[in-house]
Amino acid sequence: MIKYLLKRLFWMVPLLVGISLISFLIMHLAPGDITTTEAGFNPKASQESRQKLREMYNLDKPLLVQYGLWLERMSTLDFGRSFASHQRPVFWEVTDDKGNVTPGLIQEALPITLLINMLSLGLIIIVALPLGIISALTQNRLPDRSITLFVFIGFAIPGFWLALILMYWTGVVHDWLPISGLHSLGFERMPWWGQMLDSMRHLALPVFVSALSGLAGISLFVRNGMLEVLHQDFVTTARAKGLPESAVVFRHALRNALLPLITLLGLAIPGLIGGSVIAESIFAIPGMGKLFYDAVLMRDFPVIMGILTIGSALTLLGNLLADLAYAWADPRIRRGVMQ
Amino acid sequence: MKQTLTKAFSNPLALIGFFIIATIMLLALFAPLIAPYDPDAIDVKAILLSPSAVHYMGTDGLGRDVFSRMLFGARISLLVGIVAVGIATAIGVVLGAIAGYYRGWVDVFIMRTVDVMLSIPTFFLILAVIAFLTPSIWNIMIVIGLTSWMGVTRLVRAEFLSLRNREFVMASQTLGARDARLIFTHLLPNSLTPVIVSSVLGVASAVLVESGLSFLGLGVQAPQASWGNILTDGKEYIQFAWWLSLFPGLAILITVLGYNLLGEGLRDVFDPRTSKNKL
Repeated sequence: MIKYLLKRLFWMVPLLVGISLISFLIMHLAPGDITTTEAGFNPKASQESRQKLREMYNLDKPLLVQYGLWLERMSTLDFGRSFASHQRPVFWEVTDDKGNVTPGLIQEALPITLLINMLSLGLIIIVALPLGIISALTQNRLPDRSITLFVFIGFAIPGFWLALILMYWTGVVHDWLPISGLHSLGFERMPWWGQMLDSMRHLALPVFVSALSGLAGISLFVRNGMLEVLHQDFVTTARAKGLPESAVVFRHALRNALLPLITLLGLAIPGLIGGSVIAESIFAIPGMGKLFYDAVLMRDFPVIMGILTIGSALTLLGNLLADLAYAWADPRIRRGVMQ
Repeated sequence: MKQTLTKAFSNPLALIGFFIIATIMLLALFAPLIAPYDPDAIDVKAILLSPSAVHYMGTDGLGRDVFSRMLFGARISLLVGIVAVGIATAIGVVLGAIAGYYRGWVDVFIMRTVDVMLSIPTFFLILAVIAFLTPSIWNIMIVIGLTSWMGVTRLVRAEFLSLRNREFVMASQTLGARDARLIFTHLLPNSLTPVIVSSVLGVASAVLVESGLSFLGLGVQAPQASWGNILTDGKEYIQFAWWLSLFPGLAILITVLGYNLLGEGLRDVFDPRTSKNKL
């Protein structure tokens, strides 16, 4: 297992270098250099901040040197300071000479997005598993057909449209749920259970919206996986030796059908992180997606580069965890790696 | 081929999907003939009218006819979806073929690049590129295309790897066929079916991405109509003008549903394993 972990960690290095190269190249996509583009879009950008930008990315040096310096800064997680947002540090808090602490933008936004994504993943698993299993067990009959219809609509419905409709229905027509932000007024004075309830009410819609398309995908996946496993010989054997159907389905078939799901959940992470842009900007939730969207609108390059890099690193981490979980759950993989 | 087509038309999913897409394509193609009004004509005397016999889908905040804008928006959505997927498929087929045919370090390099691209959250990548360029319909097509070729590359490579050692390919090679002949007459034609399925499904997600970008104001720019940016207006007027939000959302939903049904239907038709289950 440790050998496997080391091997996987080793493979992450070239990927990280590749990610840094792509983010670096994107920065050079802009016609001219980014200081002129930025000036074109943001009249407020002063000569001074343009100079700062040029220094930060060493735009006066040759391309290869620029990339080397960018790598060096990335390896120390130094993403500089935001142009907008009062020059706050992009990644982590900074303490100045007087001992004042300025919290980092990503530092504040990341936990919120992670929380929403964890809840979405939880919701996806809780709902998609039963749907997929029911669908497979009633193949081509009414429950399966209705679930498949739901899955196709879940795939096709634009998240931002669903968000708008839900906001209108639950927040404007009926006053059931708050439609934006993370907390209500007076959150600090609520008892802990009141705070929990308040947060849950604020998070309900964003979590549901970001979970829906993943939910459709995973139910379909579980259905097809179950159908494939149910037709295999060992399931027939289990039935033939007289095991009750519940044992056949849950102990024999489901366990094998679920294995590939681990990898799939790992692969769903970039989609969830990317999808947070739409959900968070509609519901005004101060997470990574909203931060990124605002940064794009203001052409706040240090924040854009920082989130792009951190988001990719998180994806790599997610894939690593998924692979480790797979190796832990399936001894065949572990043994295959050892040999 | 004829057999496949007959099979495709006997598959209900594929058939429904095909009719949805064909209808929308015809509407988009003949938009100038069907549209009762100029989609960009502002009429201050007809602001936010609800749907009626005069304006089938009502009017927006500037008095423009929503039905006409929807028709022209369909052109944008379909154009962006198809061109973006065309770009992605072209890149994917070329890279996948090279990786699968030549193997060795070329293969390693291409597949590592695929891994890198897959680990950058796509929507972030697209938004970042748009931030450095300017949002326009051409940039959006190119950016969506350049960020969605990885799946096709993997598919084509896998097909090439498995076909490469088949007897008919070996035979042709033994007879002295060159690389180009092997690739273009034997390997490529035999690996296209999964590519067709994934391209059809790819159009569906490109339509969703385009409408999402336009909705966020980073896609197709006003006054050019797109389903996404009609919805942006709809958001402003959601309390007084439900029709501004309802129709574009439904249009996106139906289009994406159509492509998904067609894609999944074709997958059933092409994949002997799933069709065996049905017999």
